[in-house]
Amino acid sequence: MTRTVTSEPDRLSKIRLYRRLMFGCILGGVAAALGLRHLGYPVLGEAIYWVGILGFFAVWQGTSLTLFDERDVELERRASHLTLLVVGAVGVLTASAARMLPRFTDYAPPSELTGAFYAFAFLFGTFGVVYLWLRYRP
Amino acid sequence: MKNDVRERRERADLSQANLAAAVGVTRQTINAIERDRYDPSIELAFALARYFDCRIEDLFDPELDGESSDS
Repeated sequence: MTRTVTSEPDRLSKIRLYRRLMFGCILGGVAAALGLRHLGYPVLGEAIYWVGILGFFAVWQGTSLTLFDERDVELERRASHLTLLVVGAVGVLTASAARMLPRFTDYAPPSELTGAFYAFAFLFGTFGVVYLWLRYRP
Repeated sequence: MKNDVRERRERADLSQANLAAAVGVTRQTINAIERDRYDPSIELAFALARYFDCRIEDLFDPELDGESSDS
């Protein structure tokens, strides 16, 4: 009950630093990629983007510290669930509107909307496959 | 879920960070447990009970519907 933990501030500041580094890698990589693409260096931008992605994984996997614990996982699970609900509701409503509007009005949905519907379908298809795998795996 | 993690931690003169390190989670998780905003996993509940040298049911009160924790 009276166990002492040493160098705790050091551990906490390291965790904070590594977490910032992880997300900094992603944000920095994406920002640099967008900037370079805008400046006419798309290949260099893509390379920096990948450096950011790999940096994220390198920091995450390269430390023995626990950067994310069970509460982070639980928050992620709840956020994913909520996101699926929102995306599902928006998808159902938009799909119905896109089918019905041309029948009753002059409005013609843009072709990009078809692509978005395929993306919706793919997302939920993937969810279904993963769900079934988790449910029936031996 | 009601718990007396905060009371036991303060009695042991521990910071949230120290307790977090001892049971292998972040300080925020200990804070969330103490504020009844997060129910720990069985593993973490066991780790906390082991740390405070008590039983899980001494540390956590599930407040089951229609049941009094005192009964």
